[in-house]
Amino acid sequence: MSFIFRGMMGGQPAGPQPSGAETIQKLCDRVASSTLLEDRRDAVRALKSLSKKYRMEVGTQAMDHLINILQTDRSDSEILGYALDTLYNIICNDEEEEQDESEDEAAQKQADDLGTQFTEKFIQDPEHVTLLLTLLEEFDFHVRWPGVKLLTALLKNQGTQLQGIILVSPMGVSRLMDLLADSREVIRNDGLLLLQQLTKSNAAIQKIVAFENAFERLLDIITEEGSSDGGIVVEDCLLLLLNLLKNNSSNQNFFKEGSYIQRMKPWFEVGDDNSGWSAQKVTNLHLMLQLVRVMVSPVNSPGATASCQKSMYQCGLLQQLCTILMATGVPADILTETINTVSEVIRGSQVNQDYFASVNAPSNPPRPAIVVLLMSMVNERQPFVLRCAVLYCFQCFLYKNQKGQGEIVATLLPSTIDANSISAGQLLCGGLFSADSLSNWCAAVALAHALQDNLTQKEQLLRVQLATSLGKPPVSLLQQCTNILSQGSKVQTRVGLLMLLCTWISNCPIAVTHFLHNQENVPFLMAQISENLGEDERLVQGLCALLLGICIYHNDNSLENYTKEKLKQLIEKRIGKENFVEKLGFITKHELYSRAAQKPQPVFPSPEQMLFDHEFTKLVKELEGIITKAVHKSSEEEKKEEEVKKTLEQHDNIVTQYKELIREQDSQIQELKEQVSSMSSQNEQLQVTVTQQLSQIQQHKDQYNILKLKLGKDNQSQMNSQVDGSQVNGLQTEEVAQLREELEELRKQHTLLQTQLTEKDTLISNLRSETPQIAEDSAAESNNTELLQELEALRSQVQSQTAEIMQMKTEREELLKRNEAMSSDAACSSDDLADSAKMAELESRLTAQMAATERLKAEAKSLSESRAELEQQLASATSTVAILQTEKGKLQTEVQESKKEQDDLLMLLADQDQKIHSLKQKLKDLGETVDDEDDLDTRDQTDDDYEEDEDEDED
Amino acid sequence: MAYAYLFKYIIIGDTGVGKSCLLLQFTDKRFQPVHDLTIGVEFGARMITIDGKQIKLQIWDTAGQESFRSITRSYYRGAAGALLVYDITRRDTFNHLTTWLEDARQHSNSNMVIMLIGNKSDLESRREVKKEEGEAFAREHGLIFMETSAKTASNVEEAFINTAKEIYEKIQEGVFDINNEANGIKIGPNHPTTASTLTAGIQTPLTRSGIDKNEVTTLLDLDEDHGVVIFKFAAI
Repeated sequence: MSFIFRGMMGGQPAGPQPSGAETIQKLCDRVASSTLLEDRRDAVRALKSLSKKYRMEVGTQAMDHLINILQTDRSDSEILGYALDTLYNIICNDEEEEQDESEDEAAQKQADDLGTQFTEKFIQDPEHVTLLLTLLEEFDFHVRWPGVKLLTALLKNQGTQLQGIILVSPMGVSRLMDLLADSREVIRNDGLLLLQQLTKSNAAIQKIVAFENAFERLLDIITEEGSSDGGIVVEDCLLLLLNLLKNNSSNQNFFKEGSYIQRMKPWFEVGDDNSGWSAQKVTNLHLMLQLVRVMVSPVNSPGATASCQKSMYQCGLLQQLCTILMATGVPADILTETINTVSEVIRGSQVNQDYFASVNAPSNPPRPAIVVLLMSMVNERQPFVLRCAVLYCFQCFLYKNQKGQGEIVATLLPSTIDANSISAGQLLCGGLFSADSLSNWCAAVALAHALQDNLTQKEQLLRVQLATSLGKPPVSLLQQCTNILSQGSKVQTRVGLLMLLCTWISNCPIAVTHFLHNQENVPFLMAQISENLGEDERLVQGLCALLLGICIYHNDNSLENYTKEKLKQLIEKRIGKENFVEKLGFITKHELYSRAAQKPQPVFPSPEQMLFDHEFTKLVKELEGIITKAVHKSSEEEKKEEEVKKTLEQHDNIVTQYKELIREQDSQIQELKEQVSSMSSQNEQLQVTVTQQLSQIQQHKDQYNILKLKLGKDNQSQMNSQVDGSQVNGLQTEEVAQLREELEELRKQHTLLQTQLTEKDTLISNLRSETPQIAEDSAAESNNTELLQELEALRSQVQSQTAEIMQMKTEREELLKRNEAMSSDAACSSDDLADSAKMAELESRLTAQMAATERLKAEAKSLSESRAELEQQLASATSTVAILQTEKGKLQTEVQESKKEQDDLLMLLADQDQKIHSLKQKLKDLGETVDDEDDLDTRDQTDDDYEEDEDEDED
Repeated sequence: MAYAYLFKYIIIGDTGVGKSCLLLQFTDKRFQPVHDLTIGVEFGARMITIDGKQIKLQIWDTAGQESFRSITRSYYRGAAGALLVYDITRRDTFNHLTTWLEDARQHSNSNMVIMLIGNKSDLESRREVKKEEGEAFAREHGLIFMETSAKTASNVEEAFINTAKEIYEKIQEGVFDINNEANGIKIGPNHPTTASTLTAGIQTPLTRSGIDKNEVTTLLDLDEDHGVVIFKFAAI
């Protein structure tokens, strides 16, 4: 130091030594004003060398200048290095030299204050931190290393604020993570220390660090450094891992999902052949065990713990831990922590608990690990922490493990007891009644855990009988406990036994009855509670009150002397309700109570403070209020409550009944629903068939219609066409309509024919009336008569046909009606299609109808045939009539002609008569005589002539 | 059954758009109607199969609140994929996409695959952002787009898997430097190319040969356990 001073002052040793402050001021000026880099560098170097001795002065005067250098002289790594070193010296507190200089605490505190003060000054401007972070990107060793150290020191002094600044500076954490990848070990190792500080109680940073592959890198470093055999670097890595995982469920999840649990297993491969246990190895293993515990801590979410426990078993980690447990030569510290770790790995996990129960110690003969552990628990020579760890292990083994509880209790039962080997039960009983109060307490608590929430075991344990000494009758375990209680042993013993008794008889009326059955118990408890005892007896009083309270609350009134009511009266008389409640409150008011309530692991600063069990605190919490209420309640209230309870029970019964009913109905509904669904599906099917059939029918109808149309056009051909059954199926209505039409047509034709006939009739009658006038034509007359007769026959024929048609019409009508009825039937059936029987009926009816239709068709056919015949006849008749008419016409004209001729002849005759007459006159006049006979002859002569004329005309 | 690749994802977007619900639906196949506000970042993981290869997805679900924005930024660099989520029933969450995207582009590696997700597609009656708008935004910014519902699980699986497919394709194309874990991609322990890549890694100054050798052996031990993890997820 002095050498540097001399150099600086330019060889002026004679003058008075300048004060540190003055020198520093000068140096600061130089740093600020020198234009030459070398000058500034020298000045900073000088400041650095003074910074330890004159920490205060350098800090107050030079900090700004140094920060300035960091900002301006970025290009020169040397000056940056000096500046960073100087800053580190003034900010860092825990330098060894300092501790040497200031041995007393006050000075140390002052130094701490100084560091904090300077840190605050430095981070006043968050930019300074950001600047430092950028400097860390500088690869140069002289910059990076002091930079890391400075940041670590800053974090140590003002962690929270620094964390905040680093968190918001972009990529801040990522940059720091890169330090772990630095090939220079020093920087990597100091980087580890930096990250340790950085991740302290800041979940956000912890997560980012984990995101930046911290687990992978740290596990790599641990492996590289030799795992537990490695040095302090391994320890640092483990500490950082602990920081990252402790109380950080997200990181724990990532750790588990990243399959890093599996990578922990090789850590614990420390066989018996290990070459000694160095302090570092113990530390490393201790931290490794803690890491395992962090992952399966009872305070984690049950799901997360369970999945970690599962993978720890699957990857063999638990098995490895159990090997350490049974190994020899393991330091007690490590053994204790291993027991604690195994405890938490198996706690509440059936598979792991079962495995643990199967572990055997490599002794001869092999003993179960549980037995070996219990031996340590009740062994006074074992360290206290180890005994606590064993108790914890036993508790964790029994936690939510009814099977394990049963197995432990079974070792005490007469039927299963094996006299030849030491059992867990024997050890527990031995501990319960040994002279060592710690063993008493531990055994009592362990036994209580075998009964926790397990009514069966509570009742089973009542069967346990103990042979105290030769010649005396055996005593029940329960009685033995109360006996010891009354013998006035140590507080620890009595507290332990009282906790066991409370756990035992709570929620178990049979055990309560057993307890009350001993006439001495209640008076003893009364005496304990009512007495005015000293401070240390208060807890026992409270526990006695609790025990008595349980006797009231879980009393089934089977003992006449100690019914609920009588016990309450006793309390009121002997102790007083208020007093009783106050004594009960002594438990929770105890200073150690809340401590035990915090976590399941039994941890006690000293053996004397081993008083409360975690599970027991839960029981107290549960019962305190209930018992207070039960004691305060009057008998009437009790009765009322009883009644209420009864009615509630009744209600419950009713409700259960209803529930059952509902369940039944529910199942019925379900069944019906199924039925409905199957029916509806059936229905659907049927509907489908029906639609199919309907469409078929429609098809047939259409076909039939077409056929009918054809029939309309060509009746004969339609009738002749062969219609098969299926085609006709369901065509009734249409068919009938068709037939009706046909009938109508026929009728029309018929009427037409009739009118024609009438016309002809009149014509004939006319002709007939005319004929007699033409007397001459007899042949025509006879011809006409013949025709008339024929016509008469035809008419009658037609009449008979009409009658037939009428008959047919009625038949048709009937058929139609039937058909209508049937179609309505069909409509109905379409509504209730499920009925297949109806369908069948319908079908049969259809066939019947079809047959009828067939018959009708045949009839129609014959009818039309006869009609055709008739028509033919009519046609022939008409033609005859026509011939007759023409003949008649001819005759008429002949008649007319002959009439004319006759007239002409008559005229001629008349002329001739006149001529003859005149000639006769002339002859007379002339005198000749004339005969009248001549007249007659002439008349005959004319007739003959007429005939001759006619014949001539005919030719 | 080991994974061939491991991809790191982040889920980003405004608060209340359903990021945590998307993750829960993807990892646990369940929906939690009432969800606590995410503080900082939460982690989730699941195994998927692409192209017959097992791919492990490690997903960091970030808090959407502004106050956590700086924390979120720390996660961009190491992620291979990002799900940028908005709420189709809240226009403002869509409007903020540009800010998110800027942030992501600025802090992430350039190859990060971003999937734009319009969540809550089950709430059609309350829709404020049309599907076409989301599509247009995605097109404009070169993102993949999808509308999802964490409630009904509609498209949730697809959103995560399609993002992985895109990353996988990029790997096949050689876009990603798979040896640099900072890209959010890691090659599985017994992937066929692993051995060669790790040997190559030994030559690089940042990796230490001893560790890499150990890594191969230890990770191989772990593979069986991966099968269990997968089974667990499949069982859910």
